[in-house]
Amino acid sequence: MSQGADASSAAAGQGVATLSLTADGGLVVSSVRAGGSAKPTSVEVRRGVPGRRWVMVIDLAACDGCGKCTDVCAKSHFIPGDREFIRLFNMQESTDTAPYWFPRPCFHCDNPPCTRVCPVGATFKRQDGIVLIDNERCIGCRFCMAACPYSARSFNWSPPADPAPAVARGYSPEWGYPRRVGTVEKCDFCADMAREGKLPHCVSGCAMTALWFGDENEDAVTNSKGDTVRLSKFLRDRAGFRYMEELGTKPRVYYLPAANRRSAAPGEPGANVSNSQRRRDQR
Amino acid sequence: MKSSTIERDLLATLDPMDRRGRLWVGGLLAVCAMACVAWTVQLVYGLRVTDMRNYVSWGMYMTNFVFFIGISHAGTLISAILRVTDAGWRRPITRMAEAITVIALVIGASMVMIDMGRPDRLLNLLIHGRFQSPILWDLVSVTTYLSGSFLYLYVAMIPDMPMLATHAREHGRSPRLVRFYEMLSLGYRESPAHRRLLARALGAMAVIIIPVAISVHTVVSWVFGMTLRPGWHSTIFGPYFVIGAIFSGTAAIITAMFLFRRAYHLESYLRPEHFHKLAKILLALSLLYAYFALSEYLTTWYGGVATDSRLLELLAGTGPVGAAFWLWAVFGLFVPIGLLLFPSHRSMGSIVTASVLINIGMWVKRYLIIVPTLQTTFIPAEAAGINPHYFPSLVECMITAGAVAAFLLFFTLFSRLFPILSVWETVEDAEDAARVAVRAPGPTPAGKRVRAVPAVTVALLIVAGALVLAPWTAASAQTLSGVPAGAHAGAHAGAHAAAPAAVPTVPATSIAHIELERTSEDGQEMLVATVTVNGQPVAGATVAFSVARSFGIMALGEDQTLADGTAAVPYPEGLPGNARGDLDFSVTMLSPPALVTAPVQVTIGGAERPLAAPAEVPRALWSSRAPLAIVGTIAFLLLCVWATYGFVVVQLTAMYHLNGEG
Repeated sequence: MSQGADASSAAAGQGVATLSLTADGGLVVSSVRAGGSAKPTSVEVRRGVPGRRWVMVIDLAACDGCGKCTDVCAKSHFIPGDREFIRLFNMQESTDTAPYWFPRPCFHCDNPPCTRVCPVGATFKRQDGIVLIDNERCIGCRFCMAACPYSARSFNWSPPADPAPAVARGYSPEWGYPRRVGTVEKCDFCADMAREGKLPHCVSGCAMTALWFGDENEDAVTNSKGDTVRLSKFLRDRAGFRYMEELGTKPRVYYLPAANRRSAAPGEPGANVSNSQRRRDQR
Repeated sequence: MKSSTIERDLLATLDPMDRRGRLWVGGLLAVCAMACVAWTVQLVYGLRVTDMRNYVSWGMYMTNFVFFIGISHAGTLISAILRVTDAGWRRPITRMAEAITVIALVIGASMVMIDMGRPDRLLNLLIHGRFQSPILWDLVSVTTYLSGSFLYLYVAMIPDMPMLATHAREHGRSPRLVRFYEMLSLGYRESPAHRRLLARALGAMAVIIIPVAISVHTVVSWVFGMTLRPGWHSTIFGPYFVIGAIFSGTAAIITAMFLFRRAYHLESYLRPEHFHKLAKILLALSLLYAYFALSEYLTTWYGGVATDSRLLELLAGTGPVGAAFWLWAVFGLFVPIGLLLFPSHRSMGSIVTASVLINIGMWVKRYLIIVPTLQTTFIPAEAAGINPHYFPSLVECMITAGAVAAFLLFFTLFSRLFPILSVWETVEDAEDAARVAVRAPGPTPAGKRVRAVPAVTVALLIVAGALVLAPWTAASAQTLSGVPAGAHAGAHAGAHAAAPAAVPTVPATSIAHIELERTSEDGQEMLVATVTVNGQPVAGATVAFSVARSFGIMALGEDQTLADGTAAVPYPEGLPGNARGDLDFSVTMLSPPALVTAPVQVTIGGAERPLAAPAEVPRALWSSRAPLAIVGTIAFLLLCVWATYGFVVVQLTAMYHLNGEG
């Protein structure tokens, strides 16, 4: 289905939503900006996509802990090995409750503690809900890292070793590379992809369809298979929640509880290897 | 003691350094040079050369920052509080205390710069500064404190300057040094007019510097307190840090007194009584600090919130953090309290030992405030197979050693340039002692009036603070507005839509024609598709309805056509339109196979859609512009303080002109 989207966006005119037919009889809609993948202006970067409120839903019942989201994210953002934008935890609230996989991107909070404390406005909240970082303004004080309750932020501790494609694209806060030493970075909700009407890499790369992404203003979220559901009904029917609501940060990422799991929980027979095991294997 | 003796003794510290002194300065310079090499390495290779990582992202540098800012409170306590309360014994100590303040502030502020990932972008703080950030509060209040302390240190030195000029001239020092002292003296002479102006300036500075100092350590604590992290997000952090600062500052001044007493043979000026009086204050502060620490840890432990408990387990545990914690509790707090508690056992040795222990202990305590909290995350890092550890690297240790060396070096150089004990105040002290007559209680009427100026200012500050608090809380409650779909919006979608160019002329019997419209049946909004072939309604065909969303097609349901060729599903009530406010519906024939068509797309305009997301970002805590309450408060407080500084400078200017007339 993604090929269909690509084909249509290539053919699309200025600012027009295009519908295209795919092999299985489904439809693909894509809104295409004038100029395609041209760099957004700094005003556009700070504003966000007009009229949009990006939102993510993570279905904990569907997640099997394969770590594909982390991998595709790392590949598409050229992320160095010491950090992950979407990190997978194997959680267990207490010994008597079930363990479950917990993918954690940046929550793009509507009341973001990180953005509150930034002394120079290098990290900012956009009207479309995304929290981004301007690595060309960041002074590297790391206050935002200390302030984020979810440890979603990483730092460029060393001078970067960007691969050629990263350098070639040129810097924009919407994709955050080529990297700048001594500055903070994090999951950007694939702001550039959303601008082109494409799902974030982690969502489109999730074979378990555990990750959903959409526009809250459209009241819909879509998964990697193209299944699109009404957000409000989805959250209501599946008892959606936001992680640590009591902190008052108002995340833009919702979770669906790990009830009636579709695959083995961490530690169960047939489950994917745990994160500690995975990290040991990497070494 | 005669004033000429005092002068001779105290100015003797300015004599050229002996071999031991030169070795000392050389050693300090070597350590500083090493730190410069370490910093260069850090600038070239990035902060990777530290042991800070993504979880523990602050470490030794921030510890040093809090430590040195804490030390800087020495000056405030001794010279301001004791001057305001007119404690005569303070006089030989004030100069030293004020110098500690200025030097410690400079070192402390530079630690933040060393901690920064991009020190080259320091100016961004001025260009893009956001007043919602506690770092900006720090920047403003540390700058204000540093300027004030500098001014205070200088004002209290003015009466010594003519003496210093004479001394330098008599001892054949370079004429440039003589001119330097003369310039700084502002033509001060022992005259009632000069005395009065000096008293005014000093009185105003002594009062205003106290709230400024308190604000500094309060906002330093707020860098931690304003976050949500366990162990940091605490309402007592402001006073806790302020007391900790005065505590470590007092210990620092006792240590400094001891060292200068030894190095410069000032035994008859820095007498045991000075140590004993400070020891009493130090004891009171250590008990106060123990009380604050107990209050903080006991409430946290008793409450037993999960993340707090994990932090306390780390602190009181058996790991290196636990070891540091217990070492601090025993040697940084209980042992010093024991050493200071009994007057009969209080000796110079025990007082100085206690002070040194407290200084080291307070450094460790700051480390224990910063690092373990960063190791204790809400989402446990261990659940991702990561162990967030931290142990200062060689580069960090070298830079820290350099910071301490630079502090000592600046202090040493200061004491070579200016007498480390205030000569005029020590003379005054001796004169007071000599005068057997009972001193007139309280300051002169003129002095009283002078103190009223900053006192009123302080009162104003407090009132302003109280006034500003209410709107501030209101402002912080602002959030992003108007997100979800407006529930109404005159939802009469034109509802009528033609299928794309039906072609009746083509006699293709199997091509179905579908029309879609939105109607109201029995009060319920329906989406109705009418299927016809060659104008004849088709019954029993299965039709699927869907609507396009940005990233996919959302199914609305299926229905079988009735005899009149219509199939219907409930209209998706309240479904917002796309970015243009349209709903792009599509209808697909699923069966019978002979009639299966490509989807028919219909756009219904005017759907409910909050087209304009908040056009203007409000002045919220997270937005680019600060809430007016915050900007107003900071501006008002700064105005009060800097107006007082201005008042002091006016006195100094008057002093300078007085000389011209006389």
